[in-house]
Order: sequence, then structure tokens, then C-alpha cells
Amino acid sequence: MVLPSVAVLAIVVGYPVVYTLLLSTQDYNLLGTTPERFVGADNYRKLLEDPTFWLSLRNTAIYTFGSVAIAALLGLALALLTENIGGRHGRAARALLLTPWAVPFVVVAFLFRYMYLQNGGAINALLLATNVIDAPISWLNVSSLALPAVMVTNVWTMTPFFFLLLAAALAGIPNEVIESARVDRARGASLIVHVKLPFLRNALLVSSLLMIIANFNDFAKIWAMTQGGPGYSTTTLVVYVYRLAFENFSIGYASAIGVVWLLLLLAFAVAYLRALRMS
Amino acid sequence: MSRSRRSDRLVVAFAAAATLVLGIAAPRMAAAETVTITFANWAAAEGTTKPAIEKVIADFEAAHPDIKIKSEAISFSEIARQLALRVRAGNPPDVAQLAGNDTFLIAATGKLEPLSGYIDAKFKAELKPDALNSLQYQGKLIALPWTLAPAGLWYDKAILQKAGLDPEKPPKTIDELTTAMAAIRKTQPDVIPLGLDTTNRPFALQSNWPWMATFGANPLGDAKASADSPQMKAYLGWMRDLAKNRYIDPGRKIGEFRPLAAQDKVAFIWDQVLLQGVIQNANKMSDADFYKRWGVTTQPAGPSGKSYSFEGGHQLVMFADGKQKKAAWTFMQYVAASPAAIADYTLGPGASLPPLVRMPNAELAKKLETPIFEAFTSRIIPTATKPPYGPAFSSGASAIMAGVQQAVTGSESIDQIAASIQQQLGRR
Repeated sequence: MVLPSVAVLAIVVGYPVVYTLLLSTQDYNLLGTTPERFVGADNYRKLLEDPTFWLSLRNTAIYTFGSVAIAALLGLALALLTENIGGRHGRAARALLLTPWAVPFVVVAFLFRYMYLQNGGAINALLLATNVIDAPISWLNVSSLALPAVMVTNVWTMTPFFFLLLAAALAGIPNEVIESARVDRARGASLIVHVKLPFLRNALLVSSLLMIIANFNDFAKIWAMTQGGPGYSTTTLVVYVYRLAFENFSIGYASAIGVVWLLLLLAFAVAYLRALRMS
Repeated sequence: MSRSRRSDRLVVAFAAAATLVLGIAAPRMAAAETVTITFANWAAAEGTTKPAIEKVIADFEAAHPDIKIKSEAISFSEIARQLALRVRAGNPPDVAQLAGNDTFLIAATGKLEPLSGYIDAKFKAELKPDALNSLQYQGKLIALPWTLAPAGLWYDKAILQKAGLDPEKPPKTIDELTTAMAAIRKTQPDVIPLGLDTTNRPFALQSNWPWMATFGANPLGDAKASADSPQMKAYLGWMRDLAKNRYIDPGRKIGEFRPLAAQDKVAFIWDQVLLQGVIQNANKMSDADFYKRWGVTTQPAGPSGKSYSFEGGHQLVMFADGKQKKAAWTFMQYVAASPAAIADYTLGPGASLPPLVRMPNAELAKKLETPIFEAFTSRIIPTATKPPYGPAFSSGASAIMAGVQQAVTGSESIDQIAASIQQQLGRR
């Protein structure tokens, strides 16, 4: 019974992983300009001395953990705020809050890209009209602003996911628990911190880990908005691997980075499975 | 049954069988004579050129009933990657449209059919020698020039006039350009003074190469990288000043400046000959109005004292693994040099220049008698410089353009940026 599943997994997952491992030990150029040859751990040694790799890793960590943390907090806040809104208004509010999740990521990326434009962008127009800034800012073309600007876009798309899961978890808290806390004079922040949050812990943990894995692999938004620029300020691991593999055609070196990336994702996947078991 | 009846039946049966056999076989025989050529191109993937290339293909098929063309639309930014993968997989098309560095990148695979054996002396004499010479790779002709699309400095005369500048005297030097941009910025704050592609992609390096060259910079060097040079630093410093003074709008692809130029929001734009068609397509301006409004000239000369341009035209390549090379060559010749294809495609929407020494007829020759085409032919094309195309160019492009972006948008010193580019180029 298990054999067919194992066979499918071996083909779908095992073959690409093993082949990537093999490629990572070779000097392999897709154009075939140099003959393929075994180089052992050279690609991994090169990676250790490559500042762009370390910068990409740092950007990936900031992008992933920063976006997930902010989106989780916003999702939690929205879930708590809308918890007691019932009826037609409640349904309408929830539907509206879920809308960003329904928009395709590439569309979101282009939407924000045009909103961020220095000349003619909606964000600059709004900030100028309200006197928050006195000159338009090139949000995606200032090294220090580009990554936060892309993260804002990411948070906008991701918050509904947290809102959805946390709202469902909130609705699952037994009424008796809330009532008995109220009898004990628990109100407002105290009720949230001491009663509701412990019930949301597992939902938060599982959804955060899922989103960490998804964001670690996020290519479309970053590529459509900045292509990893300006300079390398928004280059994450996935963007760097893409450039190495499909612009430089250095498949061997790109595979070595891919292996490191895979190991990092495996660590998150193990944490996710443990969290699932706990919940 | 009599003998004659039996023989009659035999004759009828034979005739029926023969009809059946012929009926089935005849179309197959005809089909066997028809060859199909796969043609990978981005002309069919872009709205402006799609109808024109479809017409060229339909006309070709009508004139050559024994050849069918299977057009494969692939976007400009994807075509080199897809062809590299298909070559590796042993499944390339018969013919492909390529441009700039991509032509030499695919040539580096060794899977392009050298065209020297196909091009006869008569056809060779029809093509511009420079166009042919620039397509040599390791001593072999690896592509057929299809269109010529050099870049020039386009200027909006009305914007110049509003800024108090002489609209008939565009800047000749970098200093004059800087003065003009300052005047434009001051008088028309909503206008982008200079449209320049500063994205991180090989095409952007190709587009910026003439600007580096006019500062005397050659970051990829002839033998080894030389990005950490005073010339490159001067270029990067100039780019930083452009951004600081808001003379450029960083991060936009050149294609994103074109609609703005059509709305009179860009004063100068460093773009190819096809800009006229794009602007007119967008704002429906007549030819006469366009020439009144827009002019094009050579690049303003920098410290080197020389003006440069880049040739961004398109080429046709044939793959060595193709089975129908003769038919493929017939198609390539037709697309590049037939009067119908030149009229419908090359000089059609988003017009470029044909790579021919002489137009095949007076009607087409007349079409080239415009101030824009004449400026490109007589003044801009002679300034074209060819960057060191090939795999090193595309892998170097990420490092160099990332450095240009750092200069334009970051706060690191120009010395640090130049040293960083040099270091990255050295590691390739």
C-alpha cells in the first residue's frame, strides 16, 4: 500500500533533490561554454566567501521574519477588533479584510510598484497632499527604503491569512471560558493576554511557520517590484539563485546555494511538524 | 457467372481499390512535400508587432506553399533563457529572433548554424557591411541582420523651448546636457529631464555602455575587468549627480518612459529608432506633428570627446540541429530583405531601419526620407559601438548594473562602489 506513495515521492521529490546535490558538486554551465567537471566542495567554499550570498541571506531573514511578524500582529489585531461585530456589517467587514488575499501576487506587486512611483505614484501624491513629505520619494529606488517598501506590500497580502486563521481560532474559544474569566473581572487587555492569547498560541505558531516557509520562497513579488535592486538591497536567496542560474547560467554554483536554502527550509519544516504534533 | 462479368467485377474492384489507395495517399504525398519551420520570436508576443509579423508569415506561406511556419511567441526578456534550455535539451526551434547580447550568448553554445555557407555574394552585397561584420562570432557569421535599431538622444522641442532653450540646438556635450536638464527641472518640475534605463539586466548595460564609453570607461576591459578606474568612477559620479538633482527617474525600464514621452513628460530620452512608432501609436500624432515636436541627435560627448551609440536591432539565427535548413534560410531571407516584409514589418508599427544598402524599390526608399531616419542613418549609426558581447557580458551585467544602481540610489562612496564592482567581476 505504501509502495506507490514512496515511488511517487522518490520521483517527484527525491530525484530533483539528489540531482541538485550532484550539480552542486560540479562546475556546470548551462551554455556548455566550459566542460562539466567535478569540483567537490568548491562551490560551497566559494559561497562562504561570496558577500552577495551573505547579503541575500540577511535580506531573506529580514523579509521573511519581518513580514510574518508584522502580518501576524496585524491579523491578530483585526481578528480581535472584528470579533464582536455580527450580522451583515460583520460579514461585509470580514469579506473586505480578506480581499487582499484573493488578489494574485503578481498583480499586487505591479499595483504597489505603480503606487510607489516617484512621478505619478499614488503614495507620493497622498503624502504630498497631506504635507507629510515636501518632495516625492522614490520608494523602490532608495537602497534603504526598497526592502521595507516591498515588505509593506507583502504584509498587505499576508495579513488576511492570519486574520482568517486567528478569527476562526477566536471563535473556537469555549464561551464558558470567556464567561468564567469575566466573572473573575477579567476585561479588555487582561482578557486578551491571559485568556484569549493562550488559546491562539497554536494557531499563531502553525500559521507563522507556514508563512515563513512561503516567504522564504517568495520570488514573484520581489522580482516584479525591484528585481532584487537597487543594487542588492532587495536581493533574497531565491532572487540570487535565479540570477545565477538563468542570467549567469552557473547551474553548479546556483545548486550549491539551493542546497543551503533547502537545508534552511528543512529546519523550518521540522519545526512546523513538531508544532502540528503539539497542537 | 460468365467470364466477362467476373472480369468486369475485377476491374471495378481494382478501380475502387486504386481510388481508395490514391485518395488516402495523395494528401500524404502532398503533406510529405510540405516542411514546417518553427520560428521562436517576440514579435508575435508584443501587441505592436504581432499583426505585422503574422501578415509577413501569412504572405511568406502564400508565396511558398511548400513551407509552413509555426510561430512560437516568447517574450523579449525570456527568449535567451528559453533558447539556452531548449538547446541543452536538444529541442531548439529552426529559426529564432534574437538581439544584442542574447545573440552572442546563444552563439556561445556552439549550436548556431554558421550562415556563411548560405549567404551568396549577391545577397551579401545587398546587406550593410557593418551590420554583417558585427555579427561575426569566432570568425563565423552567426546571424542575419533583420532590423537596425540604434539609440539616439531624442528631445522634445516644446519642452526645450518652454525651458528657454533653443529647440533646434540640442546639447552636444555632457556639460550642455546638464545645463539643459537644470533649466528643464527648474521650469517644468513635472517633466523627467532624461529617460535612461537603470534596471539591472543585460539590456540596461547595453543601453548604458555608450554613456560609460563617452567617459572613457570600459568596465569589462579587453583582457580583464577594469571597473575600478578613474573613468568608471567619473561615469558613476555623473549618474549619482543625475539622480541627486532628480534629472533621471531611476528603476524604470526604457519601455516605461515611452508612454510618458508620448504625454510630453520626458524632455530627453535615450532610446532606439523605434520610439517614433511607439509615441505615434500612443498619441496618434501625425508624421508632420511628430517631426515638429521631436528631434533626435547623437549622444552628447563626455570627457572622451566622442559620442557613442549602441545597435539594438534584431537578428535571425538558424539552429544547427534543425532538419530543414534550406527552408529555414529561405524564410530568413524573405523576412529580412523582401520588399513586402520590409514594408509590413521593418518599416511598419514601431519602425526600425532595414539592414540593406539600398531599398529594393523607390516606394520603400521614399519611406526612409524622414528627418528621424536620416539623422539615424547619417549621424547616429556611425557612432555605434559594440560592447564585448558573450556570456561574460551577461554575467558581468548584474554586477555592473547593481553598482550603477548603488551609485544612483545609495550612499556608499563612488570609490567603494567601483571597488565592489571590480571585486565581483574578478570573482566570475
